[in-house]
Order: sequence, then structure tokens, then C-alpha cells
Amino acid sequence: MLDLQGYGPRLIEGAGVTVQLAVLSLLLAITLGLFTATAKMSRNWLLHGIATVYTTLIRGVPDLVLMMLLFYGGQIGVNAISDILYYDFEIDLYINFNAFAAGVLTIGFIFGAYMGETFRGAFMAVDNGQVEAGKAYGMSSALVFRRIRFPQMMRHALPGLSNNWMVLLKTTALVSVIGLTDMVRVAAEASRATHEPFVFLIPVAVAYLLIASVSEWIFARLQKRYDIGFGEH
Amino acid sequence: MAATPLEVRNIKKRFGDTEVLKGLSLEAQKGDVITLIGASGSGKSTFLRCMNLLEQPDEGEIILHGDSIRFKQTRHGREPADMKQVVQMRAKLSMVFQNFNLWAHMTLLENIIEAPIHVLGKSKKEATEHAYVLLERVGLTARAHAYPAQMSGGQQQRGAIARALAMDPEVMLFDEPTSALDPELVGDVLKVMRDLANEGRTMVVVTHEMSFARDVSSQVIYLHQGLVEEAGTPGEVLGNPQSPRLKQFLTPNY
Amino acid sequence: MPDISAWFNDLLSGNLIFTPTTLGYYWTGLVTTTQLVFLSLVIGLVLAVPLAIMRSSRRKWISLPVYVYTYVFRGTPLLVQLYIIYYGVVFFDGIQQSFLWPIFREAFYPALIAFTLNTAAYTTEIFRGAIKATPKGEIEAARAYGMSQGLMMRRIIIPSAFRRALPAYGNEVIFMLHASAIASVVTLMDLTGAARYVYSRFYTPFEPFLFVALIYLCLTFAILFFFRFLEKKLLAHLKPQTL
Repeated sequence: MLDLQGYGPRLIEGAGVTVQLAVLSLLLAITLGLFTATAKMSRNWLLHGIATVYTTLIRGVPDLVLMMLLFYGGQIGVNAISDILYYDFEIDLYINFNAFAAGVLTIGFIFGAYMGETFRGAFMAVDNGQVEAGKAYGMSSALVFRRIRFPQMMRHALPGLSNNWMVLLKTTALVSVIGLTDMVRVAAEASRATHEPFVFLIPVAVAYLLIASVSEWIFARLQKRYDIGFGEH
Repeated sequence: MAATPLEVRNIKKRFGDTEVLKGLSLEAQKGDVITLIGASGSGKSTFLRCMNLLEQPDEGEIILHGDSIRFKQTRHGREPADMKQVVQMRAKLSMVFQNFNLWAHMTLLENIIEAPIHVLGKSKKEATEHAYVLLERVGLTARAHAYPAQMSGGQQQRGAIARALAMDPEVMLFDEPTSALDPELVGDVLKVMRDLANEGRTMVVVTHEMSFARDVSSQVIYLHQGLVEEAGTPGEVLGNPQSPRLKQFLTPNY
Repeated sequence: MPDISAWFNDLLSGNLIFTPTTLGYYWTGLVTTTQLVFLSLVIGLVLAVPLAIMRSSRRKWISLPVYVYTYVFRGTPLLVQLYIIYYGVVFFDGIQQSFLWPIFREAFYPALIAFTLNTAAYTTEIFRGAIKATPKGEIEAARAYGMSQGLMMRRIIIPSAFRRALPAYGNEVIFMLHASAIASVVTLMDLTGAARYVYSRFYTPFEPFLFVALIYLCLTFAILFFFRFLEKKLLAHLKPQTL
């Protein structure tokens, strides 16, 4: 049997951190992605410009560099704010820039750019006649979005979304570098301490494969749901 | 005196350098069936789409029951000043499209009750009951739970007419409702439209079906290159065309 | 805003962040990153071609092992793969006594192995997709002219698959460049490693990380334009001709 030398509970806790981090980042990324896609399709040149710079910069710089920039830079920014609060307003508020929050923010921010591209393509794939029919029956833009464009867009977005999620899941491993105890960090620590890397790292690899397989199954079910009404499946 | 349900005045529209509508007007009194005919490119569909502002006219007025749509000038051209007003206006003018445009992710029944519930604020129960009455009328009761992709073109178009009727519209706009259908399916759709005309619905119809124009319309308008070439009763326009172009248009060339 | 202007003056006069020494670190980092990425891409590409052909085989015992390999390497984080190789390399019997040890003791080679295996897995799948997408007519034509399986693979399928794979492979190259940043985790002084080193010495995250971010951005655009150019040259025949 696998002897985890007492690291078992911490590994499981680490797996929990990985999953929470991934899911929260995904939610943030989807939200940002929807905003980005809308901005990119808008006629407002300022919104369009901001969205374009955002997606271009994010896709041009490594995740790890962005993460460190936000994490180390964020800590200094937070320190500066608490300094101002303390010296100028005499409020003693020490804020620790939380590694988990930094992780969620960075990963969500990075994948928001990718999601933006996915959603933009998906929105453009929705037949314009479907949207026009909504408008012609007196639906407001918000109602058309909620009842027609969004559900129809999801069908086109799901393959890309699923793909982004798989990449995002693996990207969460990087947070171990900035000090968050996800399962990779626990396994790496244990490997160094016990000199038995395979015992810890291979189960972690298997855990990633497991999570990926489960999500694949979930995405297949979602796809089925959103494919309703579009030909036989 | 009840005001005119729909009146449009002097509509002009250009796409880039081409002026497709050069000042078109139309007045639909209650119970009128107005058919717009003309060769493709004459601007008849664009004219119809300007009436509910799916296209933004560059000039002209749209008046419902004496209530004129307000416009404002923006960098992108003329746009409605008050989208709320437009939304309310569209709810009174329901449109039937050439390509049906039934919402693909909803069943036929869901399609029909969607706008009555979310736009008119009806209860689901009330909307559903009304929907079944309409489905019966267009002969699609059995297909209530089918998705558009599972229905023939003719069924989809009859379903789309039921969806339009569910809004209790004051004026119905038909944009070439039979052009995308196989010839053998056209008859069912035309029959539904004739019934609607006979019961006194106010309709504006863009069509290539001359028999429908002749038998049902109260007024026929022949458009050519964005202008009204001839207008009048079916007897005048179709029975006794004046311009050589209209004569040629009405001559079957096969 | 006295704080900001003071900070700005400080940056201009007493500049500690961009001294000849730190610029030297960045240069070393750039060289390491380029070497790592370039070598792993080249070796990965060489490995991926036969693997993709095996993966396309109709015989299960040939295609399945390759599938398992790509599934595992594409389904797990590169960082985990790097750790396994970096910490695990000592466990190969006799390696510490062999002449290879001085090489493997350094982090460069474990990193190179991890990156190579990773990119080979992705590239294999990219090529497999391209091979699968070969138009049926081209294969039938080759058969009709009496080409053997091997000849057809070499002369018809592979060259046309290479061209189809180009856009996706361009993305993979950019992905590898970005992924290589984790080399710094196993103590390598790559671009990111240089930024981390400067950060740890001066405790100023913005300058070093923004600076290397800019370098990565330039490299990304260079790769992007290179592949655009390549596509234009190699895929020109697929575009409709305008006379």
C-alpha cells in the first residue's frame, strides 16, 4: 500500500485548495470573459481598446510572471495603503495580501482574457435572426441577452470553455510557487523531506487526471443540455 | 375617432453610398391589408424592417396611434431617443420573418409564450392557455413540444405566425413569409394568412404571391428602386398596371 | 503627491534595479530561456512526428501507448512533471556514479527533459489531428497511383499535415515560451528566475517583473509574426488565386 508518511491529510487538504481555487478562478474568468466579449463587440472605441489591450497583454506574458507581479506587487500595494491608513488616519489595519486571493485574482484575470475570446466567437456564431426575432417582439436588449443570446451562445462556447477549464486547472499548480499550499506544494515539500518524490508526486498527477475526467463528463452533459433543439444528438 | 394604428411618413434609408429608400410613406387603417410588391432590391423588405426599427431609417416618421417615435442624432447616425418607447412599439407590431426565426433552443410552445410572459407580463398559465388556442388555429397542437429543428418549414412558419398572434398585435408585419418554403408548403401558410385578413387583422405584407395580393389586400404598393411606382387597390395596380415596369413585373416570364 | 514624485526621483537617480549587474542577470536569463525553449521544441518536434504516425495507426497496440503518453502529459501540470523528473532523476540506478551525473545534477537538463516530453505530447496530438484531416481524395489518388503506405505517408500525408498543423503549432511554441517560466522554480536562472533574483535582492517587484514581462511580450510577438510569415509562404497555395 501507498505509504504517505503522515502527509495524507495535508495532501487531501491541498487537493481541496486546488479545486476551490480552480472553481473560483473559473467563475471570475467567466464573468470577466463575458464583460470582455461584450466590450470587444461594442461600438465604444474606449471599451474596445481596453479589452483589446487586456487580451493581447495577457496572452503575451507567462502566467507565472503575471502571478508574481500581482502577488508581490499586491503585497507592497496593500502595505502602502495600510501605511497611509496608519500614519495619516491612525487606523491600525494590517492587511495580509492573501495568497489564495492573489491566486484566484491572477488566474481569473488571465483566463478572463481567454474566455473573452471564446465568448466573442460564440456570440458571433448566434444567428442574427434569432436576436432580431426577440427585438421584433418588444424584448429589451437585456431580456434578449438573458433569454436568447446567452443560452444560444453557450452551445458554441462550451467546447472552448471546457478547453480553457482544463488549462486553468493545470495552471493552478503555479500558485504553489507563490506560497499557497495546494496539493502540488504539499507533494513537493514531502518529496524534499522524505526523498521519495514518486510516492507523493505521482498520486498528485493522478488526482489531476481524475479531476480532468470528471470535468469532461460534466461538460459532456452540459453540452447535451445546450444542444437541445439543434438537430439530433 | 380612433387614430391610425400605423403610419409611416417619408422614410429614407441609405447603406453606404446607395440610397435604398428614397422617401416612402404608408398608412394602415384598422383592418387594412397592405401588400408591398416589387423586384428584389426594390427596398420592400428594408421598408418593412424600418417600420419596427430593425433598420434605423435616416429620415422619416413612424407614428403609432398618433404617438410618434422620437429620434436623436448620434455619431453613428439617427437613433431612437427612447429605447423604452421602441420596445413598447415593437410589442404592438409583431413581425413574421422570411426565415421564421423561431428560437432554436425552445420548443414551439415555449416560443409562443416567451414574449407574452416576459414582455407583456402575462402569467405562465394564461399565456399557455392562449398558446394552445393559437396552436389549434394554425393546426399545430400536436407539435407543441417539438423543437423548431424537428419541424418542416411550413410548420415552423405557421408556428411563427402563432407566436406573432400571441402578442395580440395591432398590426402584423410579414416579411416574405413564404419565400423560404418549398412550393407544396406555401398553401398552408397562405391559408392561415387569408383567415387572419378575413377576421379583420391589420397587416402589412411583403410578398411575391400575387394571388394573395390580388384576393386579400385592401391596398397594393409596387416599389421600384426605393420609390413607390404605383399604389392603389388590387384592381387598379394588378388589374390595370400603368407603368411599363410594373407590366413587365406582372408578366410571368416562364 | 510627494510620495510618488520622490519615488520617481529615486528611480531616476539612485537606480538600483537596472544596473550593469542586473542587466547581466536578465541577459543570462534570456539566453537560458531561449536555449531551453528552442532545444525542447526541436527535440519535441523530432519525437512528435513518429509518435503522431503511431498515434494515427489503426492497430491498437501501436496507438494506445502513445495515447496514454499524450493523455498523461497533457492532463497534468508541467510543474508536476518537472518536479517528478527533477526530484526523481537521482533514483535512476548508478546515475550518481556515471559520467552523466555532473550534467543531471544541474537543473537545466531535468527541465529540458520535462519540457521536451511535454511539448512532444502536445505536438503529437496537433500532428495527429492534421494527419486525420487529410482530404480523402488525396489519399485515394495516392493509392490509385500505386503508392505504398510508407511512400504515401512520406510524400503526401506528412507534407500536407505539416502545413495544416502550422497555426496550432505556432500556439504551442508560444505556450512553451510561457510555460518555460517555471524553470525558475527549480533554481534555474531563466528570464523569470532573473526577475525573481532581482526582486529578492531589492524587494521591488514592479520593475523586474514588468521588465521581463515586456521581454516575453516581445518574444511572443516575434514568434507570432514568424508563424504568420511562415503561414503566408507555406499556405499560399491553399488560398483562392486572384488573377
